[in-house]
Amino acid sequence: MQIKKLGSWLCIGLLPALILVSCTGNNKSELEQEAEKIDSNKSNIVSVGGTMFSIPSPIQTSMLLKKSGAPYSKAMLNVPANVSRYSTAVKKALNLGIYGADLGYVILYQQTQDAIGYLSTVKKLGDELGVSGAFSESLLKRFEKNMDKQDSLMSLSSEAFRSSDAYLKNNERLDASALIIAGGWIEGLYFTTQMVNGKVKDKTPLIQRIGEQKTTLENLIKLLTPYYQQEGYTEFIDALIDLASSEFDRVEIKYNYVKPTTDEANKITTINSTTEAIVAPDVLKNISEKVAIIRNSLVQ
Amino acid sequence: MKKVFLIITIVLVGSSVRVFAQCDTIASICEKHLTQKYVSDGQQYRALLLNKEVAEFNATLFGGTTYRLAACTGLKDGQLEFSIFDKQRNLLFSNIEHKNAPYWDFKLISTLDCTIEAQLIDANAQSGCAVLLISFKQ
Repeated sequence: MQIKKLGSWLCIGLLPALILVSCTGNNKSELEQEAEKIDSNKSNIVSVGGTMFSIPSPIQTSMLLKKSGAPYSKAMLNVPANVSRYSTAVKKALNLGIYGADLGYVILYQQTQDAIGYLSTVKKLGDELGVSGAFSESLLKRFEKNMDKQDSLMSLSSEAFRSSDAYLKNNERLDASALIIAGGWIEGLYFTTQMVNGKVKDKTPLIQRIGEQKTTLENLIKLLTPYYQQEGYTEFIDALIDLASSEFDRVEIKYNYVKPTTDEANKITTINSTTEAIVAPDVLKNISEKVAIIRNSLVQ
Repeated sequence: MKKVFLIITIVLVGSSVRVFAQCDTIASICEKHLTQKYVSDGQQYRALLLNKEVAEFNATLFGGTTYRLAACTGLKDGQLEFSIFDKQRNLLFSNIEHKNAPYWDFKLISTLDCTIEAQLIDANAQSGCAVLLISFKQ
């Protein structure tokens, strides 16, 4: 992806990075330079404020689990009391993402009491990270007012995380934004790998979903790579790179393009193309083990 | 020299604050296209576009899900072109073919790794904040 470059006199790291055009300095590591490579066929493409990737919400994983008949498993979640363990900004951001995934999970399974606990934990970490505006008292009140409405709770929770993400991006805290997203993603993948080894009758959709994380993991690594040398990031990013190169590289993705069909009146297009992720049993086993190790190291 | 540097910093900071505020306003307008049936993916995507620049977002959309994508710039709808390509560069959708619709729903039969591109439609527009919101049906 090409990054628009200003003249070097603007970009030699003298000014705070508050403008919405990414600048390149002269001392970037290979990994950072790798993250900024361009597709020479797309000379007008800009990457503003860094690389732009969408990482799927962990709520979608929870939705798949529920649809697959996976039972509610409180034991799988990060205990709210663990929040007192997280003293560094890195651990706080990662676990804000993890607890956010847990919150979505308990809402989906209509575990109201657990939801209150997770929302309080999310609010606490949000306050400590300086995004208290997104997880405000008024949000808590709206949450309590809608405890019997799953749809409303899901919307409120997701909107809060989007507000938090917007705030962090506005304030050039892209590193924190990336960590929250990463925490949520790893927790969602952890859920899936735990359930695929558990009491689910039809495991095929879960195995597919695990395999489909191949590209997302690559995107996540690219999202985090600019911060590789920051304290607290290196080990985590190395673990993700190992997961990608040792295991997900062995996942075969077969894609077949089929022309989409559009219903103009209802403003909906059906994407008919198909993707099949082929995950060998030993690869699945390794992915499950490594994801558990990574995730458990984050919540310790 | 110090004074010049300070003035430049103040101007740039002021400009960026204005740009961020503009992006927030646009995001608020854009959010109206997402009804309560749709759950946000928890992220906000935005890019400052100059002239004919194209912003690129890489995304994975899961099969068995209906998504709503809203793409906005400025205070009015219909000023931002957005297109979706698969990894083989097949064009799957462009709002230009649908009266510059500010949002559209996508039903995914199977998971799709895709690229979403956005650019300003107005030939006279010199710059603008493009906001993309991704949500999925509950």
